[in-house]
Amino acid sequence: MSAPAPPPAPPEDAPHPPPAPLPVTPTHADLLRVFAGVAMVGIGGGLPAHMRRAALGRAWMTELDFAESYTLAQLTPGPNAVNLAAMIGARLRGWTGALWAVVGVLTPGLIAMLAVTVVTLGLPGGLPAPLQSGLRGAACAALAVMLTAALPVLRVVGGLRGGWVLALATFAGIGLLRLDLLPVLAVVVGAGLILHRPRPEQPERP
Amino acid sequence: MTDAGADWLDILLTFTRLGLISFGGANLAEIERVLVGQRHWITPGTLASGFALGQIMPGPNMLAMTHYGFAAGGWAGAAAATLGFYGPTALLSAAAALAWRRLLGWKWLPTIRSALLPFGGGVLLAGVLVLTRGSVQNVAGAVIAAAAFALLTRTRVNAALVVIGAAVLGALIGL
Repeated sequence: MSAPAPPPAPPEDAPHPPPAPLPVTPTHADLLRVFAGVAMVGIGGGLPAHMRRAALGRAWMTELDFAESYTLAQLTPGPNAVNLAAMIGARLRGWTGALWAVVGVLTPGLIAMLAVTVVTLGLPGGLPAPLQSGLRGAACAALAVMLTAALPVLRVVGGLRGGWVLALATFAGIGLLRLDLLPVLAVVVGAGLILHRPRPEQPERP
Repeated sequence: MTDAGADWLDILLTFTRLGLISFGGANLAEIERVLVGQRHWITPGTLASGFALGQIMPGPNMLAMTHYGFAAGGWAGAAAATLGFYGPTALLSAAAALAWRRLLGWKWLPTIRSALLPFGGGVLLAGVLVLTRGSVQNVAGAVIAAAAFALLTRTRVNAALVVIGAAVLGALIGL
């Protein structure tokens, strides 16, 4: 393109492009396909890590968007990975986006699980010993996958005022002391709200 | 199948409750209390093998709930358990995400986010602890978990391959 041509003028009646909060917006079919793909590579867990890679890699979301959705998915009750799929889908395409993302993330596993269930629950005495051992090995690796998914969130937490203290207090209350979740939520989030309350004299945090 | 005749509506409501009281993953202790102890829908063996199967299924590892639902009430039970456990919470999540987006620009939003993130991180760590208790039962298991973590953080190897490799290793050494 050596001869510089003037850029084509937009048609007179062209609507103003809406301000796009995200560089790329997926279609419903994209959501179904990508989340089914995430489910299939996410054998053994680690789904949030795969969703992060899928969403950030396609420029559907930023790192901060993802960290926010991830935290919200932890806060809403229920299975994290499905909640996260519903949230990402909803963020990108509203209610129907959430539906297609959830259907996508569940379908491959449902088919596989039902197939295995019909066979194994039919076995008298349950699974054979080598298969049990194999499943235990897989579970140990699944733990490692989950830990790698937690690291990006913990990095974000580390950058917040009081972040580590509040995260460790939550861990101690829920994980070690087995306290009820709601009182821990009230104390930790209450403390966080006080720590981070809007102050007019401060410049806004990015 | 300890009781293949459980009513699907009963299964739906029971699993809906289990989904709604699970935070940061599944509340396995409560699942055990209700499904094994209270309702006698599954045995402790079914609980354990279903959970392990969930770990190697594509998708969320709590697909074990579908397994438990099938044990409780056959195909209708599997459908009811899946719908009950995943449906209402997914709906809540989508609603939360949509409400969150409408609040953009509100001056308390960064505050709430900064308050919620450490809580989310802590719940996540607690979930890792519960999972550790459930899956790492001896030194060999800990070694497999540590090796998998090192592989996943230092190389670009596919996570599914790591999990399948660990399954083969577990079967070979009789973990």
